[in-house]
Amino acid sequence: MTSLTLGFIPLTDCAPLVVAEAKGFFAGEGLDVTLSREASWATIRDKVTVGALDAAHMLAPMALAATAGAGGPVTPMIAPLALAVNGAGVTLSNRLSQALPAGAETLQEIAAGLAAFIGQRRVGGEPPLTFAVVFPYSMHNYALRYWLAEAGVDLDRDVRLVVTPPPRMVEQLRTGQVDGVCVGAPWNAVATRGGLGRVVMRTSQFWPAGPDKVLGAGAAFAQDDRLSPLLRALVRAQAWCDRAENHEDLAVLLAQPEYVGAPPDAISAALGGELVFHRDGAGIPRLEHARWFLAQMRRWNQIGADVDAQALIASVYRPDLAMAALKATGLAPEVQPAPGPLFDGKTFAAG
Amino acid sequence: MRVLVIDPDPARAALVAEGLEGVDPLEVRQSAQFDAAEVASFAPDIIVVACDSADRDTLESLREAGETNPRPVVMFADRSEPGLAEQAIRAGVAAYIVDGLAPARVRPILEVAMTRFSLMQQLRGDLAKAKANLESRKVVDRAKGLLMKERGLDEDAAYKLLRKLAMDTGRPLGAVATDLLAFAGVLKGDAS
Repeated sequence: MTSLTLGFIPLTDCAPLVVAEAKGFFAGEGLDVTLSREASWATIRDKVTVGALDAAHMLAPMALAATAGAGGPVTPMIAPLALAVNGAGVTLSNRLSQALPAGAETLQEIAAGLAAFIGQRRVGGEPPLTFAVVFPYSMHNYALRYWLAEAGVDLDRDVRLVVTPPPRMVEQLRTGQVDGVCVGAPWNAVATRGGLGRVVMRTSQFWPAGPDKVLGAGAAFAQDDRLSPLLRALVRAQAWCDRAENHEDLAVLLAQPEYVGAPPDAISAALGGELVFHRDGAGIPRLEHARWFLAQMRRWNQIGADVDAQALIASVYRPDLAMAALKATGLAPEVQPAPGPLFDGKTFAAG
Repeated sequence: MRVLVIDPDPARAALVAEGLEGVDPLEVRQSAQFDAAEVASFAPDIIVVACDSADRDTLESLREAGETNPRPVVMFADRSEPGLAEQAIRAGVAAYIVDGLAPARVRPILEVAMTRFSLMQQLRGDLAKAKANLESRKVVDRAKGLLMKERGLDEDAAYKLLRKLAMDTGRPLGAVATDLLAFAGVLKGDAS
């Protein structure tokens, strides 16, 4: 058996790692895997950097940010597999969701309602609303910013954006320390089931089949003999995670305290449609996704204009490695739909 | 120099803080959780944070919020101290320093933190071992009692028999005693 240590954060989309271990897909590839539950994305990045983890569950933009040296040393990484698409969402506190105009349903209407309320508060001299996201380099941060900015909100002046660990977001919605959160499954479901707020935007509406998490590893891992069996085990696990007959089993498995540690019904909420692990090539890291992330990093001044986006994306996003694993396991999708437009109709070309 | 230790494990935080008292000049504070108001008022020069603290992501984000935070912290990533950050991460410690703090001042602090982290791990390991030993002694006593009753041996002979079984099979005494009790249970029908 070949040993590997993989890191994960307690979120529903760590499922492929947990399932590959629990259902024997790792063992089937001759891999003896230790799953290491981590408390922060920063620790995931650092442990991958120093080799304390061989690979890990990562926010999709993290591998790009580390390779670009955004906010830290340049640390070349690869993203050889997407772990899931969709899954995140914005939950507003009850107080704030009551301020939205009645009948606001579409993402544009809700954002316009929020922008109007934020504008009133500014004119009235009230302090800016506080929104929490999970990490600076995350789909959550970029989706929330993009969505509010489209409605005319000045992200620097009109709102306060903070980074908060997900379990604490739920508590802060209760105490009123935050007015809204953009977070991944199962935390929106945990908040709404606790009567603490309302989900007003899902990333599956913001960008259908949009990016969220990838498997990330140091760049040297691309040449590691363990990478191919690891990817084969994970794509098998992803196909398993998508099957409806496994969802009850999956929710109970993830609910265990050593994995996600949330109620099974809150975990179930994102299974069966919202989170997609395998279908339609969900496991393939899309260059269009990476391009969009780079554009957001530039827009919000996380990277300079001198970063060569093309070269960066080509070195980090490795759809070829995911495709090789999908073909080797007979799981390659027959059709591979090109990523569609964002909610506002904009598209991002792969070239 | 002011040092803030953030660690969800209060016993370990206390151990680190106590160790840092020996490094001067220093004011040390410890906290289980990141608190923006505390960081703003204490204005630490360095924050030592456990890798198992969920607050690390919040600390990272403070770099991007320079305007709202008068003392932005940056990740310790200085290349003039090769290997130090790597060693610290492996030991479970991360650090954030105020821009401009000399790396030479960071090393002794991180070294104390790493030493204390491994000391804590050792103490906890010793405690777990002591508990396991106590448990194994209880099991051996019960197995001895069983042999005395079933085989009519005295205590000394029962112990010698157990020890012989352990030596013959090359396994710890506690494991042999556990097996013996389990088999006796099966023969009596406990596990049927």
